Amino acid sequence: MSEGAEAKIYMQEIFGERLVVKERVKKEYREASLDERLRLARTRNEARILYRAFEAGVKTPTLIGVGRFSIYMSYLEGKLLRDVKKSPYLLRQAGILLAKMHNADIVHGDFTPANIIVSKNSVYVIDFGLAEISKSIEEKAIDLLLMKRSLNEKQYKVLAYSYAKAYTASSDVFRKLAEIERRGRYQIRTLV
Amino acid sequence: MLVMGIESSAHTLGVGIVRDGEILANERISYNVGSEGIIPSKVAEFHIENVSKVIGSSLRKAGISLKQIEGIGYTRGPGIGPCLQVGELAAKTIANKFALPIAQVNHGVGHIEITKHIAGLNDPLALYVSGGNSQILKLVGKPYPHYHVLGETLDIGVGNMLDSFARELKLLPAWGSSVEREAKGGKYIEMPYTVKGMDFAFTGLLTYAKKLVGKVSNKDLCYSLQETAFSMICEATERALLLTKSKELCVCGGVAQNTRLKEMLSNIAKEHHVKFGFAPNEFNGDNGAMIAYVAERLIKSGYTSKIEECGIEQRYRIEKAVVP
Repeated sequence: MSEGAEAKIYMQEIFGERLVVKERVKKEYREASLDERLRLARTRNEARILYRAFEAGVKTPTLIGVGRFSIYMSYLEGKLLRDVKKSPYLLRQAGILLAKMHNADIVHGDFTPANIIVSKNSVYVIDFGLAEISKSIEEKAIDLLLMKRSLNEKQYKVLAYSYAKAYTASSDVFRKLAEIERRGRYQIRTLV
Repeated sequence: MLVMGIESSAHTLGVGIVRDGEILANERISYNVGSEGIIPSKVAEFHIENVSKVIGSSLRKAGISLKQIEGIGYTRGPGIGPCLQVGELAAKTIANKFALPIAQVNHGVGHIEITKHIAGLNDPLALYVSGGNSQILKLVGKPYPHYHVLGETLDIGVGNMLDSFARELKLLPAWGSSVEREAKGGKYIEMPYTVKGMDFAFTGLLTYAKKLVGKVSNKDLCYSLQETAFSMICEATERALLLTKSKELCVCGGVAQNTRLKEMLSNIAKEHHVKFGFAPNEFNGDNGAMIAYVAERLIKSGYTSKIEECGIEQRYRIEKAVVP
């Protein structure tokens, strides 16, 4: 289906059921033991968080099984939020998704429109490859920052508003976000 | 057009001369940082003492006289204030004396553009790694042509990290290459690995490695530190490569002198069928030619400044610089 920087993602049929397999492939450029450590830890971490997200009521693909470097998930028919019209409705849903994750102390780590699938007018978050379990306000603020960087101002406001309503600790996150943006290196980091 | 460029953002003072993109001279002198690192006032003093000399030698190398110069450029930033001021002052003086157009150049833009020029690349994803900077960049057209930062270090530059560690081990300058030499034949030990999307951070890694000094062999430490840091950068770069769908990749800046880093990047480029390019080390270290090269293009495109508008900016973000 696709070949990301980290993993290749392909479809497999098992017992007539379409599954998505995310397999972390060996990277020739890096030290073999570092490579194996990263792939193993990330596969386990991702599977664990995917399940935790499911428990917390976050819309995600369903975790079916885990191999050494592979995760097996249910298949979702749809398009990436990146590639569709970002309607206020979808953005609000995305804000609620993030709120639910943060409520469960899941930080996504790469929360961008390229990691949200729109399926039957509903949004699902995918790719927990960089996700962590964390109470850190900073990490949560970075989730929001990444999304902010990928949206225009109006779109971000819609998303942020629904996030704020759905997540009780959101004011701390917004405060942190403002602080991060004030840090020297980020002052004028532009958007594309 | 005959253009001179003066670079003095850190411990190297460089003067380059270009004519229509052709590099005629690239002379430089570096302050010996010794064991104490860069002391701004001392380095600035060193630059002041040497600036006329280096300008002179670059003119001799190019076989021209100062009067023939048709335009001048200098590094506006980023860099160390007192050091930048020396280049600024020299450029302004010459511009004033001969009524020349003057262009203010961003240091990072200089590194990337000269690399593109020499490696024959059109629109690469650029990895700019030096002491003070570690960024992944791509040229974008809006709202003005500039380098967009896709990812960067969240704390210190990778070069700075390698230097600090080398000083901890009491290795000799140039520290980056000392670490590289020391790393040969080392064994890998586990170290903290921090990548956030396309950003990365080095201080955690540095602290961890410093704590192991004396407990693990220097060889293994250098090897593991270098492998971990470069793997982080490479992972972020690979992600940016796929995101931007770039067909070209280049690496520039002081740390681009490292062979292992180039080997890793070339491996990634090969995997994704992307053209990989870099410049000879002469242009990866700080140099005046890159400033002259960008200045010429700026001047030709009309991006010149009045003398009273010229200044320095220690934290001159690359996004703010127009790329002609």
